[in-house]
Order: sequence, then structure tokens, then C-alpha cells
Amino acid sequence: MKKLIVTFFTIFLVSGAMLAQNSIVKGRVVETNSSEVIPSVSISIQASIFDAMTDANGLFLIEGELPQGEQVLLVSKSGFKSIRVPINILRGRPLDLNPILLDIDISAIEAQIGIISLSDNELDQDGGTAFNTSGLLQAGRDAFLNAAAFDFSATFFRPRGLDNANNKLLINGLEMNKQFTGRPQWGNWGGLNDVQRNREFSMGLSPNDNTFGDVAGTSNIIMRASQYRQGGRISYASSNRSYRGRIMGTYNSGLLQNGWAYSFSIARRFGDEGYQEGTLYDANSFFASVEKKINKDHSLNFTAFYTPNRRGRSTAITQEQRDLKGIKYNPNWGEQGGEIRNSRIREIEEPIFMLNHYWNIGEKTTLNTNLGYQTGTIKNSRIDNNGTQLLSTIDGQNFYAGGARNPAGNYYQRLPSYFLRFENPTAYNYQQAYQAREQFINDGQIPWNSLYDANIDALGNPSYSTYVIQDDVNKDNQFQINSILFSELTDNITLNANLAYRSLKSENYAEVRDLLGGNGYLDIDNFSQDASQDGSAEVAEGTLAQSDVRNPNRFVTVGDRYKYNFDLDVNVFSGFAQAQFKYNAVDFYLAANAGTTSYQRTGLYENGNFQGGNSSFGESEQLNFSTFGVKGGATYKVTGRHLIDLNAGYLTRAPSIRNSFSNSRQNNDVVVGLETEKTQNVDLSYIYRSPIVKARFTGFYNTMQDQTDINFFFTESVRDADGDGLFVQEVLTGIESRRAGVEIGIEAQITPTIKLKGAASMAQYVFTNNPNQYFTSDDFAGERILGDGTTKLENLHIAGGPENAYQLGFEYRDPNFWWFGVTGNYFSNAYIDVSTLRRNDNFANDTDGLGFNDYDPEIATQLLQQEQFDDYTLVNVVGGKSWKIKQYFVGFFATINNVFDTRYRTGGFEDSRIADYRGLVEESNRETSVFGNRYFFGNGTTYYLNLYVRF
Amino acid sequence: MKVINFYKLILVFAAALLVVSCVKDDDFDVPDTSVTAPNIEGTIITIGALYDALLQNENNPITFSETNSFISGFVVSNDESGNFFEEIIMQDNAVNPTRGVRILIDVSPLFTYVEFGRKAFVKLDGLTVGLSNGVMTLGIPNGNNFEKIPEAQLREFLIRDPEVASIEPKVISFSEFSNENINLYIRLNDVQFSFEDAVGDPKTFAGEPEDQFDGERSLESCSAGQTVVFSTSTFADFKSSLLPAGKGTLDGLLTKDFFGEEFNVVVNDPTTINFDNPDRCDPEIVDCGIAATSGVNVIFSDFFESQQANNPIAGNGWTNYAETGSQTWQAFFDDGVNASLGTSATIGSFMSGDDSTIGWLVTPQIDFDAQDGETLNFKTSNSFSDGSTMAVLISFNWDGVADNIPNATWSELPSAFIVGDEDFFGDWFPSGNVGLECVSGSGHVAFRYTGNGNEDFDGSYELDEIEIRSN
Repeated sequence: MKKLIVTFFTIFLVSGAMLAQNSIVKGRVVETNSSEVIPSVSISIQASIFDAMTDANGLFLIEGELPQGEQVLLVSKSGFKSIRVPINILRGRPLDLNPILLDIDISAIEAQIGIISLSDNELDQDGGTAFNTSGLLQAGRDAFLNAAAFDFSATFFRPRGLDNANNKLLINGLEMNKQFTGRPQWGNWGGLNDVQRNREFSMGLSPNDNTFGDVAGTSNIIMRASQYRQGGRISYASSNRSYRGRIMGTYNSGLLQNGWAYSFSIARRFGDEGYQEGTLYDANSFFASVEKKINKDHSLNFTAFYTPNRRGRSTAITQEQRDLKGIKYNPNWGEQGGEIRNSRIREIEEPIFMLNHYWNIGEKTTLNTNLGYQTGTIKNSRIDNNGTQLLSTIDGQNFYAGGARNPAGNYYQRLPSYFLRFENPTAYNYQQAYQAREQFINDGQIPWNSLYDANIDALGNPSYSTYVIQDDVNKDNQFQINSILFSELTDNITLNANLAYRSLKSENYAEVRDLLGGNGYLDIDNFSQDASQDGSAEVAEGTLAQSDVRNPNRFVTVGDRYKYNFDLDVNVFSGFAQAQFKYNAVDFYLAANAGTTSYQRTGLYENGNFQGGNSSFGESEQLNFSTFGVKGGATYKVTGRHLIDLNAGYLTRAPSIRNSFSNSRQNNDVVVGLETEKTQNVDLSYIYRSPIVKARFTGFYNTMQDQTDINFFFTESVRDADGDGLFVQEVLTGIESRRAGVEIGIEAQITPTIKLKGAASMAQYVFTNNPNQYFTSDDFAGERILGDGTTKLENLHIAGGPENAYQLGFEYRDPNFWWFGVTGNYFSNAYIDVSTLRRNDNFANDTDGLGFNDYDPEIATQLLQQEQFDDYTLVNVVGGKSWKIKQYFVGFFATINNVFDTRYRTGGFEDSRIADYRGLVEESNRETSVFGNRYFFGNGTTYYLNLYVRF
Repeated sequence: MKVINFYKLILVFAAALLVVSCVKDDDFDVPDTSVTAPNIEGTIITIGALYDALLQNENNPITFSETNSFISGFVVSNDESGNFFEEIIMQDNAVNPTRGVRILIDVSPLFTYVEFGRKAFVKLDGLTVGLSNGVMTLGIPNGNNFEKIPEAQLREFLIRDPEVASIEPKVISFSEFSNENINLYIRLNDVQFSFEDAVGDPKTFAGEPEDQFDGERSLESCSAGQTVVFSTSTFADFKSSLLPAGKGTLDGLLTKDFFGEEFNVVVNDPTTINFDNPDRCDPEIVDCGIAATSGVNVIFSDFFESQQANNPIAGNGWTNYAETGSQTWQAFFDDGVNASLGTSATIGSFMSGDDSTIGWLVTPQIDFDAQDGETLNFKTSNSFSDGSTMAVLISFNWDGVADNIPNATWSELPSAFIVGDEDFFGDWFPSGNVGLECVSGSGHVAFRYTGNGNEDFDGSYELDEIEIRSN
């Protein structure tokens, strides 16, 4: 350490000589109890433009034409109690403050952990809810980010309208975004909140030391044994949102005398149902980290975590269903043996192991090398109601008998609207509707016993399964390695660089989870039994329905793979370099990255619909993408109170695997016209900081091109030769979009105990072109285009939470370690996810391809109007208290969200089943539409309470 | 010290975990799906009684309310292969059934609830019985229509008994197709699909481009020489299977077509079609095709103008023979809508009371070696021919004795067009120039009617302008 200080002195002397008028304030910040250095502490000289941040060694340096004489140095970091240090600055006499002691602010830490826990609820939800994590990871940074994390998250609000895939998440420097979707799989580390407090966050494109990042920001969670403060923590949380209870325990050794450090954490989250009916929660979390500081230059860390979790899913419902059953209605469950059984379970078991090496190559250079390995499965279950048996005629012809209707209580043919779908309903129709209504209100769930009954014969013996539970399984084996170089070239210039490689082998298949009392399932596709009389496929006699022509008519049982089975191989190489320049009045940076990504699908089944060559079996074409990005930005300190910050970048990104193969479950087809995605992003902020008021105003502008999207659905508007509807894949390419708006965050500490907060985001997220669109299906050959091959999306809004969100709130923080806060939040301009099928030229065409003779453009415009959800206001209350009893800190933290039980829609989507003019006119004439929009409804009043003990 | 406290805490913590945090795992026990005997509190009437009541009401629908009555029966339809949709057929007994009924239910599939052979009770209050598509049907009343029992009320109206019986099909002949036997599980012995449907390039059950809703195929009785429509839904899982070519027994259900006009035979699935005998019972055929023209030389001719109306056809070398039944070919005159061509010949089994009516009209012997380019021409018309059939045949070994006609070998002349049931009864249809040039030796041409006194097989055929010419 002495050596370092000497070095600093030398630097100061040198720079002092260069800038003769300069004064110097420097120092080191350490934690009071453990004497551990604290990085990323913000240091500023009150009422001046001069500030600094501590580095990894807790050191800081402020130099320049500093105000002379008695000044106040503000030292603050989230999670610590801020202090004001009186200093006397004299020219030519460098001031060395070593150490500055900071106390941990337990209640603030708890609040932060609380926020993280709360937010996890949202993050754990299905990908479909498209919630963005970036806001959460930034909690504690400023008033806007806090609002986004804590109060806006319940509404699908996405900061800057960006998807999670635009947010890079790292743990110990290793990227955690999944290659399949591009998004982080939050469930892989859920419940480990205690050990995820150390987060380095870079907002938007602003520089990050580890990686190039992405436009929604970059977070690095540090999970290293030596970085945890010595001590333990036990907590219990109760909530009615997703889990009902959470119990969590953590112990950290801190860095021991012998150079070892260890940490472990376990947690269990559980609940038979959350806010939505039948959404069980069953999650265990285990974490261990061991680190050995070999010598002052080398440190080796091993971290492993394993968080098996099982959750019952809910789904979007129509307004009709909501009106009859309420917002908690979840059609996915049914009662069996007096217990709730959810048919749609998501089970994630993907342990992660990492080895991290930290090497101080010199005084100013570090090299961090990380190895990561992840293996395991993600399983999503659902009921398959198409079990059949193979029957043969006496002359040896086979056919498949069986199959059943969707057993869900909310299947459209079981709802009142279905029986009133005709123009002049009869008395009988009303009777049917009434019966359906009663049945739906009184039950509306999955009749498990009937499913078993169907699979068991009259003598009580298992027969073939008409119904089974199917797991869609994603089994990944991923290996990662990267090296991150950090070097202070000069006092003002730092260099970051990394090289990374990632290799993924992903097995994707369906698996029989439960035969529901039956003795097996015949692995054929009942829908393909006699399709394809169009001669689109060259198929051997009677093999069309086979999942795997090479192993026909397999009778599968629990644990067997069936339906589809393929591997995906992914290789990603990337490199990045960045230079950061820090001067008194201006900081700026430049960064660039480049990489290659390759994907290949290997079919292990030869699908009956796609026989011969490599159409479904064997290796697909190998997809290769070259990507690069450049970014740069600057912070100009007008004065200490006024800052202007600018970031701009251009980057390209490989499409996710999900969007690269148009129908990967059945064949090797690659999306036609697939390109790397392009993004341009710029944001400009004005930041104001005074001892009382902190404010940020940001304008942002982001455009993207060449994005791809694939949808799967059954529709009556893409038809076969007989005019019947088809199950299709809809592929959109060349999607262009724009996100532009402003973000505002203001907080004012009007008294030492009272803080007022305000936050707002006003933006517009729209498509800016009419993307290309084509369809594929196992019922016709090749790609089919409707109309001019585009879908008319220009100027429609991108779905994904409210575009406008506002918050006003206050916080009271009593000196006696209790506090509470209230916020009012107002949301508007949220839009439905449009059906892109409805918006092509085919909308106006009859089954014969000619225009509808009753087509009225005015009515059409009305029918295609994008639904805007109603505005709503949510009031949230939060509070906590802590006590110190001997060496223990005891406390609680509680929130009540949506105090007034407001009803609101967070999102929704249009159904593509009916996507033509006449069909929609018919729908609009119905009192209740049969294929109405489906909505996600926000929770009513919910609570979260957390009790903890620290030692 | 700290460490010890810590371990204590961990212990407490672990204990707490176990106590409070159980979530139901995914291992659910297989529920007991056995059916318990229902306690039917009400009057159980037979399906036969239901049938009689409907008959007594002149087949006008009867709606039940506050009768507290039920019927019981055995399910003989099976929708597993998709050939039945949202309906079940129940008959009164598992063995020797006498009456059956169709019940409309808005549930698919139903076999997972009531499988083939399952005994069940149907609550009648709230339902209407009547004729729908020509068969006795129970459904929800809706004006003059019968509608399906809503899914929500399935278990209220259709109550299962634990018994699943082994159904013994009722063996019947084509002549026993009757309203009484409708909705019964029957066995037809010695049957085959028609040559045209099943041999050479066989048709599928219901997968031909022209099949709409149902594929209708012709099922023939070898013993009776009669045919019936064999119907399969285009939604059946086996619709693309090919019709079997052989002959044998077939177990299925007797029903009527959509319009309720014609008997139909329907199978639950083709596994009950046991056509394991490859020797079909097709008549021999003589097919010289259709000639472009007919010659100028008349070898044989009869326009029946000299016949006495309402008397059997006689003279001109004709043999008019009733193989079975009471009907023979007769002369008739009509100038109404169903006009004759002057005087014409006719035969039919209407009001005959015959179990079987087979009537022959055979020409005198003709020497086909004496000239070249022989052709046969005639015209046919019909009057509600329904299930009765008419054939034109040729024999080279009949000895001229009327009683020996059934013993001779008769071959069909398939090129001849004969009026069909779907043709307008007022029109006469020419046969075309039925070629006989490929024939050698001496033989007789015959017109044979097959029907019976049953109202669905008692149709009439008319015949006229018979000419055999040569070059």
C-alpha cells in the first residue's frame, strides 16, 4: 500500500509541476468495521465542479484549481451512510485523507435488497411479459431509476422501450444473456439476493469496464467471496405476489488472515399460489464461493450456484373471461385429489460454475480471466390432448384413432360468447350460453379426473393416453471463457479490453412428463394424418404423421423424448476495446467491439412432413454473423452542479437463435432474408446536483433495423386449397423501429428527514416501416406471401408497457432508524401488441384471393385501430425499521403496492385466428367477441414484508 | 462465539424451512376413476317404449318434463376414430337388441366418457324425442329442431353405469333394414363393396375429392344381390384408408342419410370390416363398351305397344319370371307427369308384402354369330326406386326353362346406363348403344328387378324401346 501511495505522490508531483496552480485532495475510503476498502464511492467538494470516484482499491484523487480554504468534502455511496468531511485546502499542500471511514447503512441495504427481491417477482415471470431488467439493476442510482425499478415494474414498463435482450447482464464478468432469446434467465440466480448486492451498472451505452454492453445498459454482479463483508444475515419474507414465503440465510467469512474467503447463501421461496390462482412457487437456491488470495497480485475465486425452481404459470385472458372470473383467474390449473394442480409448470435447473482469476500485472494493470460452465434444463409443461392409437384394417392399412378437444375451461368453445356468435341467437343458443356461463363461473378449470378417466379403461387398467403432460425441454451445456484487461495508461486515460469465447450445445426436445394414468403415447402428429393432399412433400406412404420417419409409430412413456428433437450449436467469439479519458471539465470515452456468431441446427428426427435430404434430419446450413459496434460519449462538467452527458453508438447484433430458424421444431429451414440487427442510439442528459436537489433530464433517441420476429399460430386467414385454416409460422424480417423520448428524475432533500421525489418518462415507441412477411407451414411447400409480402406496421406502437409514466412521492427517514415513503404513479399510452397477420393486404381478400365485395375502407381502418389501454394510477407505500441489539441488527421492510386496488391492464395482444375483414366485422358485431384480444391484468393490492437479522 | 451463535441460527433456520415451506410436488396419485352404480330415482322406461310413444304420436316430437323418467341402454357408437361427432347411439340390450336411439351431445370426444358397450342412463326431462335425419333422436328442443345437450349438462343427462357389456351384433339381412332396426349395432354377412368402388383403383373411405361431409360407397349383399349406402364422415381418422376388396362380414350401425331418406350403414372404425374372403361375388360381366352407332338391321325389338296395359308382359319370345315374390313385369300406360312411352313395361314391389322380389324379363335366344356389330338399346325410368335395383344381364347357358333362370350364369352388361334413384322420375334415360359385338354364340338378354316390400326397397322401374340391332 505504501508503494501505491508513493506512486500517487509521484504522479501528483508530476502533474503538480505541469499544472502549477493546482491543489490536490486524495485519500482512501474504508469500511469502519472490516477495514475493507470501498470502491465506487462518490467524492465531491461541496458547491464545486470537482468530484471523483474511488477505484477498486478505495483510492480517489481530486486535483485542479480547487476552491481554497475550508471546504466540505461529501463522501457517499448507496448502502452507506453519507458523511461530510471538513477539510482545509491549501495550494501546494496535497491533502491525504487516509482512511475515510464509512458506515454501512443497514436500512438502506435492506431497502435495496428489498427492491431487488420485489423486482425478482417481475423478472421471474414468463418471457412473454417482456419485462426489462435494466431498471431494476440500477436501483439506487437516481430518482428515475428508483422509480423504474420499484414502482413502474409492475406495469411492464420498459425504460426507453427497450427489450431485456438489449440489456447485458454479467456475473463476475461473464455474460449471462441466453443465446436462445438474448435475454438473461433471471431464475438461474433467483433467491440469492443477499449475495448480489455488489453490482456495477452502466446506464445505456455509458462505459463499462468489462464489456462493450448494449443500449439498455450493462450490469455486472460481483459474486466473489472476498468482496462480501464478514457476517451473516437471516431473513424471512412474506408476500402475496408470487411466492408466499421466503427464507434466506447467508454467511460470509470476509477475507481471512490466511488469504481465504468463503461465502455461502441458501434460500427457499415457496407458495401454493401467488396473486394469480394456481401459480405455485417452489424454489431453492444454493450459493457458494471460495476465494484464495494467493499473493498480492493473484487471487483465485470459485463460485457456484444452483437454484432449482418450479413455478406454476398463468396466462393472458380475454375481457369476457375476466368479467366472469376476475383478474386472478388462471385457466391452467384444476383440482385433483383436493389439491390445485397447474398444467403449465416451468422448471429451471441450470447450475452455474465459474472460476475467476484476478491478476494485478503491475501497479495499474489488472487482468481478470474467467471460466464459466453452465448445464441443465428448462422445462415447460403443458397438456397434450392428441393421444391416439394405431389401428389396422384387416388388410393391413394403418390409421390413427383418437385425439381430443382442448380440455381447458376457457377453451373458446366453452365460453358464452361462442354460443351467441351467430347474428340472431335462438332461445336454445341463450340456454347454451347460460349453461356455459354457469359452468365457467363455477368451474372453468382443468378437469383432471376426466383426463385420467379417458386414459384408464373400464376395468381400471391403463390404456393408451389420450391426454399426457408434455415438457418442452431445453437442455443446455455452455462453456465460456473471457479475459478482461484493465489498465490505467496515464492518470487520465484508462484502457479496457476483453476477449471472449462462448460455446453452447443446446438440446431441444419434447418429453413425456406424465401419462396421466395411461400406459403410453403414440408418437405421431394426428393433425398430419391426412393432410398434404396437395402433394407438397415427397413422402413415403403413410409416413406423413411421423415425428421421426426413421423410428415410426413409437409408443413412448414417461421420460422419453418425442415429437421433436434437435440440437443447436452456437459459437461466439468477441473482442472489445475501450479508452476512457478523464479531465477536469470533461470526461470522454471511445469503444469498439467486433465478433462472430455461428449457429447450426442438427435434426435428430426426420419429420414426416419434411422428408429427404437435410430438410429436417441432419445438419442445417451453418449461419454466420459478423458483428461490430462503436460508441463514444462525453460528460462535460459545466460547474459542479451542472453536468451534460452525451452517449452515442452504432452496433450490430446477431439475431437470437429463436429468430434464426423459422420452424426449428420441425425442420432445418433458415429464416429467409436473415440479417444482423442494427441499432443506433444517442442520449443526452443534463444533470443538476446541489446539496438539496438532484435532478436528471435525459433525451433519448434509438432506432433499430433488420430485426426478425417469428410467430406460431393457427389461423383461419391463411388457408389450404379447401379454404380451411392452417397452423402456420409467420416470419417477419427487416423490422425497423424507433424509440424516442425524455426521462426525468428529481429528488429534493428538503429537510434532513424528508425527501420529495419526482420521475417521469414520456416517449414514443413505434415501428417505422412495413416489414417483410412470409408464412411457412407443414401443410404447404415453401414460403407463402400474402399481398405484396409486407405487413403494414409503420407508425403503429410497439407493445410493452406504458410509454408515459409519472411519479410523485416522498420519503421520511427518521433518525431513529425507521422510515416510510409513499408514491403516486400515473401511467398512460400503453398499447396492445398487434396481430401482424391482420395488417397485410390479404386482410381485404376473400378465400378466393379477390377483394371482399362489401369491403369498406373506413370500417377497415376502425377495425385495425391499435387499442390503447386506459390510463391508471397506482399508489404504493413502503416503510421499514431497524434496531441494533448487541452485535445484531434486526429490522423489517414492508411495502403495500396498489393501495387502492386499482384495476388495470398491463399488456395484451390481438388474436391472429381471425385476421380478415369479414371475420373481424363479424367479430365486432358480436356482443362479446369469440377471439377477442387477450390481456394481462395488473395485480390488485399486494404486500411484501421482510424481516431480517444481521450479525 | 459469533460462530457458535451462527450455527445455532442455521439450525433454527433449517428447522423453520422444513416446517413452513412445503409446496405440493408434481407427483399426483392416479385418482380413482371407477364408476359407481348410479342411484336412479325415477322411472326407467325402455327405448322400445320411447319408440312406441313416438310412433303413437305420429312421429311428432315429444318433449319430456316432470316425468322423472329415464331410459337405459348400451352405447354402441364410438367416436374415437371421428366417424361419429357429438352424438352417441344407444341400444336397449347388449345381446338381441330391439330398439336404439341417437342422443345429441355437444361434447367431443365422447368415447373418453362413454366407451363402446358402456351401460348408461339418459334423463328424459328436458329432452325431446323425435325423428331427426330420419332416425329416433333425443336432443334439446329448439323450435322444430333438435339440438345438442350442452357440455355443462353432460353428466346431468347422461349417467354412467359401471357395466361395460360385450355387444353382440344383431345379424340381419339387407331386407331387414327397417326403422325398427335403426340405431342398432348390426352384423351383415357375406357383403362386399361394389366392384367400381373397391377393385382395381380402389376408393378411399371418404378421402375422394368429391366427398363432401360424407363419403358414400356402395355395399353389396352377395346373397340378396342388394346394395346399401355405406357412409363415412370426411372427418374420420380412416377417411384416407382404401376400401377392402374382398368380401365377408361387417359390423356397424344401421342409420339413415342426412336427409333421412335412405338407409345407411356406418362403422365405428374399419377394424370391424372382416372382408377376409378374396373371392368376391361380383356377377360375371360382358363388356364390349359403347358403340358409336347402332346398325340398321333390327334383330330383336319390342316397344311394348302391342301389350295389354296392367297385364304381365307376354309374347314376342319373352320369358316373364318371378324368381321370388309376387311381382312380375307388367305393361302400363300413363300420360301424366310420370308418363310412359306409349305402352311400357314396369315392375315394383310397392305394397307387395314380399320379403324379396326378384323379377326377370328375358328375351328369346339370339345368335350373335349370324351377323356383326350387334348393339342393345333400351330406355329406363323409375319411380322412387330407393334401395331396389335393376340390372341388364346376358346368359349363354340358360336352357330356356323359366325355373332354371336362377341356376344359369348371368353376366352383367356394365356399359348399359340404367336409371338411378337420384334421377328425375318423369324422365326416360337411354341406355346408350350397348355393344354386343364381342359376344359369340347364342344367348339371352335379361332385365332383372331386385327389391322387396319394405318401403325403402319397394321402388319401381320402367322399361321400353328395347332393340337389338346389327350392321
